[in-house]
Formats: sequence, structure tokens, C-alpha cells
Amino acid sequence: MASHAKVAQQFARQLFAMSVVDGAVSADRVEGVLQFVEKHKVANPVMVLKAYHRLVSIKLSKSVALVEHSGAVSAATLAAIEAAMSKKYGRTVKAKAEPNPELLAGMRVHVGDDVYESSIAGQLAALAASV
Amino acid sequence: MSTVLEQIEQQIAKLSSKAVKKNTGNIRTVADGVAKIDGLSDVMYNEMVQFPGGAIGIALNLEEDEVGCVILGDVSQLKEGDEVTTTGRLLSVPVGKALLGRTVDALGQPVDGKGPIDSKETYPVEKIAPGIIVRKSVSQPLFTGIMAIDSMIPIGRGQRELIIGDRGTGKTTITIDTIINQAKINKVGLASGDKNFRPVYSIYVAIGQKNSNVVRTISALEAAGALEFTVIVAAPAGDNPANQYLAPYSGAAIGEWFMENGMDALIVYDDLSKHAVAYRQISLILKRPSGREAYPGDVFYLHSRLLERAARLDGKGSLTALPIIETLAGDVSAYIPTNVISITDGQIFLETDLFNQGIRPAVSVGLSVSRVGSAAQIKATKQVGGKLKGELAQFRELAAFAQFGSDLDAKTKAQLDRGSRIVELFKQPAFAPLPIELQVAVLFAMQKGFFDPIDIKKIANASASLKNFFTTRKDPLLAEVRTKAALDKDLEAKLLAACEEWKSSYSA
Repeated sequence: MASHAKVAQQFARQLFAMSVVDGAVSADRVEGVLQFVEKHKVANPVMVLKAYHRLVSIKLSKSVALVEHSGAVSAATLAAIEAAMSKKYGRTVKAKAEPNPELLAGMRVHVGDDVYESSIAGQLAALAASV
Repeated sequence: MSTVLEQIEQQIAKLSSKAVKKNTGNIRTVADGVAKIDGLSDVMYNEMVQFPGGAIGIALNLEEDEVGCVILGDVSQLKEGDEVTTTGRLLSVPVGKALLGRTVDALGQPVDGKGPIDSKETYPVEKIAPGIIVRKSVSQPLFTGIMAIDSMIPIGRGQRELIIGDRGTGKTTITIDTIINQAKINKVGLASGDKNFRPVYSIYVAIGQKNSNVVRTISALEAAGALEFTVIVAAPAGDNPANQYLAPYSGAAIGEWFMENGMDALIVYDDLSKHAVAYRQISLILKRPSGREAYPGDVFYLHSRLLERAARLDGKGSLTALPIIETLAGDVSAYIPTNVISITDGQIFLETDLFNQGIRPAVSVGLSVSRVGSAAQIKATKQVGGKLKGELAQFRELAAFAQFGSDLDAKTKAQLDRGSRIVELFKQPAFAPLPIELQVAVLFAMQKGFFDPIDIKKIANASASLKNFFTTRKDPLLAEVRTKAALDKDLEAKLLAACEEWKSSYSA
């Protein structure tokens, strides 16, 4: 079982490597990979596709700035975030707004594993942790 | 004026709205105190990571797309998908004199119910050992209070001396005796007001032991008045393997504080066999490749980097390490024993047979050695016990040979008689370390043949009588031996006269 998972993981990595063009995930290549998996009888297809999905989603999350906000956020702010993040990471980062009233006020930006916290909820949590 | 205020307000607004960056990940799996985490792309090796609910972890496996962490603390509340954040810090423990007399866990948190520890400083748990330049050779003695050890296998400050033997052979007792002896010496030294006196503080690290054993050790130290000079770091058998793995490093960090601040410290690792087992468990769960006896490949480095932290530093203090290794059926050639033997500066081997014969401490003279300690031995001990090791080794050989025949020449018989007497003299009860000056007096009496006419069965009584005689009636002479630390003609004459006096009173 463990070795099956390992083989599936390795195969998914190969498929993922083929899906990246110029440092970004190519939609065409992804489609091609899915067709390949469907056409050829790949061993443990569910395991392979799950691992592939995980790798692609990690890669995609690195080029998206998920902006959680409480209250209104202007298009200019989103554009400023896009510009700042693209400059910081050296790749094109698209901003995507998502309202989250639990933040109370302010915003929280996710780019891949990095989280930029500028919300009241985050500050309260930091305060609670320090007490 | 208003523009100035606006400027300040803008500055405040800028500062208060500054975003805090953190690197996060999510738990993929959590089992047996180890979590596999997705994300944490910025995490560093050995970095502390924060789990929800206050638990912390240490990143030990940095893989292509996941991070393996050992969790310190309660894992029962953690679940798949929980967010984990990096802290950018290495694990640190509180250090300083405030820890003396206290029992702490692997993270330096008190577990003795005596309230919080008022410690101002922290030291990282993992630290690179001092290099060559800053070290100084071992030249100051560290008295264990055990006659067999101080006379034949002397230990110096900054040395690493392994104590090895099967279960139930008195390994822990030797270390507790040593700690008690340091406390006794400290009390005498501090009371004397000698400015050059350097007390030795002790750290006892209990790894994978039963809680009852740890309590017994604490009680023994408390009863002997040694706890006030001792820090206990406890990671008992019920603790998770991560804590057991970390405890010796935490103890080393506590000891390093004393060393770095110009003081001398002694650290006991009880025991490193269980430490290796805890590390093996962690490594297997982290799916690291296993080698001999299923230990991971870096099990040598596990102990070498720990024991290398014991040193004597030039212009500063020292840290002496007494690691303990438990063998199975006396097999010193097993994997972990050979590793630690090769790292340390000598070993004290305890034999089950000797222990069962009533020879306690059951030190095997042939297999025990101190590679650097003789440079630290005081001259007085060398003068009275320099040939002891050879004589005793010869006796063991002859004794084995003599079993086959009864016709022995006079010389062999004399050697056997003398050997048996030395063995009897070296018998010492637990938790009763002897001051070095008293050891010198007893060995002097033995060397001058005062025990020769006494029946072997009565040697223990005679020895006790001699010790009693010296402590009650010849205290100034003992103090002279202690301060001079060498026997000149005058002192030898005084010791001889005292022994004669004892002999007449004893035979009478």
C-alpha cells in the first residue's frame, strides 16, 4: 500500500512537471494530462489524480492572492495588492477578493503558504496568545 | 501645528496597519506525536512551529512537498487540516541559578509544583559544541566520592566519562553519589570562604525512566541536602518520545549556562540507551531509512553532538558529562554502547557478577578506563593509589588462575591476600560518598600494610573504624591533606603516626 502511494506520488510529480510551462500551470497541458490518464490504464488513477490535484493546487495558490476582507474593498486596493505581490514574488499574482466578516475589520492576504495578516481578528488572536 | 499632529497620526496609522507576515501550513496527518504538514515552505530545520491550542512542534524532516514535525505537548486536540505557523525561532529553555533545586520537563517548565521559575535568560536547546581554540585540557579533578573510581579511574572537570553496565548494577547510584559528593564539597568550600573555590552544580537528566525512580532519585538528593545544587530534567517513560529525545539537549543547555558564566557543572544523562530508542521511534514514524538495529543513520551524531557540548573552556567554566548506557547481558559491543564508548573519554564498566558477589560499586577494573582523568588526579591520591589498578587487575587474573590449584607460592598468596583486602576496602554503601582526604587516609593505611594482619572478613569493620577515627579525632590532619593535596614527608609522618594510633586503639 505504502509503495503504491509512493509510486503514485512519483508519477503525479512527473505529470505535474509536464503541466508547467514557463513557471506557470498550463490549462492545455492539464487537459492533456487528464486525457492521458483517462485513455491509458494508469495504475491507481484516483491516487495519482489526487496527488496531481494537490500539486497543481499548491502551484496555483502561489499565483493567486486571496484577499479575505471585512467590509468593502475597492478595485484600486486589489490592483495595489496585485502589483505589490507580483513585485515581491517576481511572478504574476492575481488578486481574488473573498468577504470574511469574522475578520471584524481589515484584511488577510494569502499567497501560497504566506499569510499577510492585517485584520482586527488577527491582532486579537495575537494578543490572546501573548497573554 | 495641526499638520504636525496629522503627520504623527499618519505615522501611527501606518504602523498600526502594518501587515504581519507568517508562513503557514496545514496538518495532513498526525499520529504518534508526529505531524506531516503541507506547506510551511519557509520553515527551517529544527525550527519551532506553532500548532493550534498552544502545542509546539519541531521541524525535523524537510521534504519536497511536506514537513515532518515532532509535537511537544498535547496532541489529542490536533486534527487534519489545522493551521500550523512557523515561528522563526529555535527551541529554547530557561537557564540560570533559579533552576537549582527544581524539577523541570524537557521544555524547562517546572513539574515539581513549586511554582513558576524566575529565570531571566534562555539558551537554545540545540547548539554547536565549543571548538578547538576555546577549549582547555582537563586538569582539575571532579571527585565522585567513590574510592574505587577516584583512585583508579579519576574524572576531571570537562571530561565525558561513560557509566556502562547491565540493568541493576548500580549505574544510577554512582551518579547520585557523585552529585551528593559535589554538594558536600560545595558546602565545605563555600563555608570556608575561599575565594578560589569553584562549586560544581549538577544537572540530572532522567530519560525514559519510571516516575517512581525519578521520585526516588529526588528524595535521595533531598535527603542528602544535594537538591539545592541540582537541576532535575525529567522526561519519564510516560512522556512522548519527542520530549525524551529533547531532554538531554535541554539539560546540556542548562549546563552550558553555568559553563559559559565561569562556573563548573556536572551533567548526568540517565540513560542514553533509552534516548536512542526514543530517537529511533521518532525516526521510524518520520519514515527515515533505518540501519543497524533499526536505528537511523545519524544515531552516532545524535550522541556525539550532545556529548561534545561537555568541555572545559579557556577562561570560563566547565561541563562534565556522565552519560549512562544500559547493556544487555554485558554486551558492550552492541551498536549504541560502542558508539558512546568511542565518543567519551573513558568508561566505568559495572559487572553483574561483581554486583551479585556483593562487590559494590561493581566496577570492573579491567574494562574501565579514564583517558584524560589522570591529569586531573591530585598528587596525594596518585602517591597512595598509583599502583592500585595494576595490583587489582593482577589480583583478578591470579584469583581466576588460583581456582584451579591449591599449591600457591608465598608471593602469589601475598598478592591474593592483598588483592582481597583492596576489594574489601573499595566496598562502599550507596549514597555515602567519601571525601578525598579520607580516601587518601584509608589508601595510605592500606599501602603501609595496616590492614594486612586483619582477617579479610573484618576489613570492612576495620575500614569503618579507621574512617571514624580520622573524622572524629584527626580532623585537622584531614584538612591538611585536603588543602595540601600532596603528601610530603611531614604529612606522611603524621598520617603514619595517626594510623599507628588507630591500630593500637583498634586492636585494643
